[in-house]
Amino acid sequence: MAKFNVNSNAYIIIYSVVMVVVVAVLLAVTSLSLQERQGENILNEKRQQIVKALGENPAAVSYSDVVAESVMLDKSGNKIEGKTDADIFAALGDLTASFEAGEFPIFKAANGCVVIPVYGAGLWGPVWGYVALEPDMNTVKGIVMDHSGETPGLGAEITTSKVQSSFVGKTIFEGENFVSVSMRKGGATNNHEVDAISGGTKTCDGVNAMIKSGIEGYLPYINANKSNK
Amino acid sequence: MSNLKNLTGPLSANNPVIVQILGICSALAVTVKMEPAFVMGISVMVVTAFANLVMSLLRNGIPSRIRIIVQLVVIAALVIIVDQVLKAFVYDVSKQLSVYVGLIITNCIIMGRVEAYALGNKPWDSFLDGIGNGLGYAAILLIVAFFRELFGSGTVFNIRIIPESWYIANGGFYSNVGIMLFPPMALIIVGVIIWVHRSFNKDLQEK
Repeated sequence: MAKFNVNSNAYIIIYSVVMVVVVAVLLAVTSLSLQERQGENILNEKRQQIVKALGENPAAVSYSDVVAESVMLDKSGNKIEGKTDADIFAALGDLTASFEAGEFPIFKAANGCVVIPVYGAGLWGPVWGYVALEPDMNTVKGIVMDHSGETPGLGAEITTSKVQSSFVGKTIFEGENFVSVSMRKGGATNNHEVDAISGGTKTCDGVNAMIKSGIEGYLPYINANKSNK
Repeated sequence: MSNLKNLTGPLSANNPVIVQILGICSALAVTVKMEPAFVMGISVMVVTAFANLVMSLLRNGIPSRIRIIVQLVVIAALVIIVDQVLKAFVYDVSKQLSVYVGLIITNCIIMGRVEAYALGNKPWDSFLDGIGNGLGYAAILLIVAFFRELFGSGTVFNIRIIPESWYIANGGFYSNVGIMLFPPMALIIVGVIIWVHRSFNKDLQEK
């Protein structure tokens, strides 16, 4: 070993190349061997959020107890046949693309409620969530929201149960017109509004747009099932 | 046994957080609850131990001109592996720790120990030094998290310590101390720990 000149350029270059290759192989092996487990965790989290949106405690009841079926809808609100559960959860991973492709995943609970996944932009990064509607397709049963980089204490408050529970019982229709639910700066004034978060206005705007545009895609389905009642 | 000193020294007399004042940033961020603090402590310990071990094994072959780069690559690779393992096995905790796992790379303790110790000492000694410093870090994190969780949430490791019936909401007299949940309180607790520690270790007091 000592015969080498460890500070020669050739040695440094070879050393770096070998080091990078070894580290790259090591990381690739780790990543590949753990991928399946990580995917399972992410899937599990989505299932738990759906359960939570339906107002149940994910620690107490499992996804399969609450959700009767998951369905993929087309633009006019009809079921697309031949979609498996795995396809539908894969669509949740890139909701924007799936909406553009005219595919709308929806989760039907055993008690007639439905859960709609929504996706949008907050202040610093994406926000997403699940809106659960009562069987009347008008009243909000519950909502779960998450974000990747909103400001802690301000925009990030959308993940707290205090904010999320304020949506419960609000309605998305005014007569026959779809008005969505929104977070209003200055405080809620009617049954389609909840209080916005002080200092989190931009995030709240993003959440409003997310819920509105998200539910809009499902309107054909909602209207069809609403008139049945 | 001089080996033993590597392990026990950093626990008190040479503690990385309260004596060397390294790694304070993450001590503030992940100590709201015991569980993330515990996982963070273990993660840092694994990284310091193996970074020290690997660097000590390589120490005679490393070109000194790219020494720091090699250290960074080794540490970064270890941290990514730890991050991946956490995501696979303790997903909830890994979400709570979020960016702080990635930021272990910049934790001053790790580079500090590699540079100051591992590059000049044998692998086994270096490994023990890494474990010792990781333990010292974890110990402080857990002490801080214990007080913050107990007074901030009334629990320890998510087990309720302060009975529900004491709370004002349930007709009692007690309420959680909200400020405990904010980072400044971690700084104050670390300060108090340093104060207590130095009053027992007179030789650490600055004149």
